[in-house]
Amino acid sequence: MKILIVDDSSTMRRIIINTLSRIGYTDVVEGENGKSGLERLGQGGVEMIITDWNMPEMDGLEFVKVVRGQNPGIPILMVTTNAAKEDIVEALQAGVNNYVVKPFTPDTLKEKIESLLG
Amino acid sequence: MDQSEIDALLAAGSKPASQSAAAPAPPAPVAAPAPAAQEPSRDPSGHVIAELDTVTAVTERESNKVMDQLDQICRLVTRQQELITGIMTHTGSQEPKVQQAIHEVMSAGKEIQDKVFEAMDLMQFQDITRQKLERILNHLRQIHDYIVDLLGTGTKSEGKRASISNTIAQTGTTPDENKAHADAVIEAFKSKGKG
Repeated sequence: MKILIVDDSSTMRRIIINTLSRIGYTDVVEGENGKSGLERLGQGGVEMIITDWNMPEMDGLEFVKVVRGQNPGIPILMVTTNAAKEDIVEALQAGVNNYVVKPFTPDTLKEKIESLLG
Repeated sequence: MDQSEIDALLAAGSKPASQSAAAPAPPAPVAAPAPAAQEPSRDPSGHVIAELDTVTAVTERESNKVMDQLDQICRLVTRQQELITGIMTHTGSQEPKVQQAIHEVMSAGKEIQDKVFEAMDLMQFQDITRQKLERILNHLRQIHDYIVDLLGTGTKSEGKRASISNTIAQTGTTPDENKAHADAVIEAFKSKGKG
């Protein structure tokens, strides 16, 4: 399964990639903001998206809205520092399937990914 | 007070911060005195913003170096475990004492890897700290632009920045501290959708 990780922090992308590899997902492509995420998505083969919210150029919420316009079925997990109730609701309304607040444990990421794929 | 006086005050105020940022550096050679005609920075708040941007970029780069080292440790432990697995096929390795020793070395290797993974996960603090600094930068930019508007002189801050979490100031570094809250909101949203 190819997973697209969109986050402007290269450290955070590495942490997510490490966590994914520990739970058996090694086919990963990366984007550093919504715009480059869309470019990667356009190259095809992506079956799941893990995206941050706060990014330059195009933020995660805008990215999710664009993706949902093109691909209503792809699972999207948002991993962000935005913890306010209204933020979580806004993301879910935009089309996010599940939501993780940073900092997270690998178990949480695993649980959320498995719930999306299950 | 006009813009140049404000600039001069801000420039004077920003000096100790920039000096303390360079604290670990070896004693610098005596610099030539600045030309008397040299003006103070025309955009001190812009200077502070650039300095903080540099700090976030440097911490991200250095965090990645730490991640590289942790990756390297993991690879070495994996290699060690492969070598030990190879030893297990040798004559004499079936001795109970040898088996016991091999088992202990393998367990210790696994423990090292788990600790390395934990350390990698803890590096999330870098992203959270970066976003907290971004929030401060955003406030500084707003103050800077307000002063520029007020005085009708100077240059407004440029460039589209990352959106910033409204709750980042309260975000700590304890993993999953907001998990229960987030899960409850998700659950309520989904139940509402079903109802």
